[in-house]
Amino acid sequence: MTSIDDLIQALRAEGYESDRRLATAVFLALKLQRPLLLEGEPGVGKTELAKALTRVLQRQLLRLQCYDGMELREALYEWNYAAQMLHMRAAQGAVEAEQIEREVYQPRYLIRRPLLQALQTPEPGALLLIDEVDRADEPFEAFLLEYLGEYQVSIPELGTVQALARPVTILTSNRTRDLHDAVKRRCLYHWMEYPDRERELAIVRRQVPEAAEALARQVAEVLARLRSPEWADQFQRSPGIAETVEWTRALAALGTQSIDPEVLSQTAGLLFKQRDDIETLTRAAAAVLQPA
Amino acid sequence: MPVADNVLGFGRALRRAGVLVDSSRIALALESLRWLNLTQRDDVSAAFEAVLISREADRAVFRELFDRYFQAPAAQGLSLAPVGQDASTESLGQGQEAPQRALDALFSAALAPDASLDDNPDDDVSEPDTDARFTASQRERLQQADFRTLDAWEYRQVERWAREVRCELPQHPGRRTRAGSRGAQLHGPRALREAARLDGEVLRLPRRTRREQPLPVLVLIDVSGSMERYSRLLMAFLHAATRQATRRDVFAVGTELTDLTTAFRHADTDRMLADAQRCIPDFAGGTRLGPALHTLLQQHARRLVGRRTVTLLITDGLDTGEPAELEAALAGLRRRSGRVLWLNPMLRFEGYQPLARGARVLNRQVDAMLPVHNLDSLQSLAHSLQRLLQA
Repeated sequence: MTSIDDLIQALRAEGYESDRRLATAVFLALKLQRPLLLEGEPGVGKTELAKALTRVLQRQLLRLQCYDGMELREALYEWNYAAQMLHMRAAQGAVEAEQIEREVYQPRYLIRRPLLQALQTPEPGALLLIDEVDRADEPFEAFLLEYLGEYQVSIPELGTVQALARPVTILTSNRTRDLHDAVKRRCLYHWMEYPDRERELAIVRRQVPEAAEALARQVAEVLARLRSPEWADQFQRSPGIAETVEWTRALAALGTQSIDPEVLSQTAGLLFKQRDDIETLTRAAAAVLQPA
Repeated sequence: MPVADNVLGFGRALRRAGVLVDSSRIALALESLRWLNLTQRDDVSAAFEAVLISREADRAVFRELFDRYFQAPAAQGLSLAPVGQDASTESLGQGQEAPQRALDALFSAALAPDASLDDNPDDDVSEPDTDARFTASQRERLQQADFRTLDAWEYRQVERWAREVRCELPQHPGRRTRAGSRGAQLHGPRALREAARLDGEVLRLPRRTRREQPLPVLVLIDVSGSMERYSRLLMAFLHAATRQATRRDVFAVGTELTDLTTAFRHADTDRMLADAQRCIPDFAGGTRLGPALHTLLQQHARRLVGRRTVTLLITDGLDTGEPAELEAALAGLRRRSGRVLWLNPMLRFEGYQPLARGARVLNRQVDAMLPVHNLDSLQSLAHSLQRLLQA
């Protein structure tokens, strides 16, 4: 990967339309070997980017989905205690205590979780996706610091594990809470916006080839309007890219030539998932399609 | 190297604009230039943004500052020359906050003194111990005195006492675990340790028990004119009382919604109050709870965590908005919260009935209504919170 343009092309070949600022941030993360923190509303394509990037780089994707209360043993490593206890039982009396201890804490009994797997993946290295890191709690962020800063982790029984090859690391956050500055300081940062009309049109064309060009254009138009400040304020959540694609597929399947208020309100459930939002859209269908 | 100087200067300008930029980041920004085509100004902007910024809110300041600092006609690419200090201020856009922050950073040579440091919390250090001025009987009187009837000196003292009220936040089983005797999962490390002690013999199976953690709290404070005396004092009280919450979001509600969560992160209550006062554009104005709550649900719905959040709504219910709108917003709030408690200073009146339009709606939609007009009521609130929320 030698330039930003190359990266944009390569991502496009893998089906991901990225804008130039995003591509620049990704390019730098690769070149400077820093983790990249992607923040943005749900459905702007953060996770998809990581997936497309693994295909571009031909690296193995390791995904760590974060959740409330996630602990070290789910993210990093855990000992296989049952096997260790069997070992201890079997070896009892036959060998020296010191030897048992050595044998019990051998790598064979280590269960590797994504973080450790990422460090131990040989060249060309893995791509580690730490997804929705804002869902994990603050103590968990502290676990991450050593990894993010040094690409290493410390396991008390084994010592420090260094990366065989620095994993490309992508963190995503929906910003349900602010991440600690210490985490942010170790990462490059990019805020992902909803795609503009052109990019959305490109995505629709690629993902839903069966949709007619006129329909695709109209879809991009409607979505751009729904996400404009004038309309976005009236909905609890703006539709993401996945919703756009699903909606277009549905419209194409229904044989829709052109979107009218009736079709829009009938298919509102594909764009919005909240009852209030669907009602608002149904009420305002005509206005959405016909700007003043 | 002039480029290095310019990047350094730009970093300093960002810092003056309030963006946290340390020297390692500036070094990284310089390093990033190695990988870029410097004639592509937009690429350099995107790269610096990725390296130097780590909050969405800082982006507007960054872009404004970048454009001004590295002013260059698009055709010529990036000169990496900073704008001279003589650039005319009149030509620059004013009014919006972000550009203003950028401007201030560009044209102020030194860091402006932090205004909030002026109202130092230790102002009254020179004065004798304030507590000593109050005899036991006076304290007893102030304990039951309505906050609105206090003179300035008493108000100050009561506010300090209010900060000392200890509050036990209700706990719930969190997702993290510790070793215990009950629970569905085996605690491996503990089992292994115990077995090792007994030569590999397993006599009992230690379990993973869920750790208790305080419930998340959402505080909504009415800052309208009729609530003025109460809201400041209650903010001070809640700042100290809800300190141990795992998650605390605070909003001021007046004619509009103001996010005070950041202000509440100050450890010092006086700084928090000074900050909050600065943030709230409509302090002591009117109340329109309905629209404000509506905005809360639309824009900050994700602050309400998994229907566990304890929502404390502090208002006298004298609302000038549409009751229907308030009702819908409250119903939404209730659906997304564990409990909604209405802390109502109007309960100072004996025989008070929530009969005003807004108050009637509130009374219908909340889980409980509690008095908060004197120190006594704050203390009993602090004690009963846990019991109230477990019922």
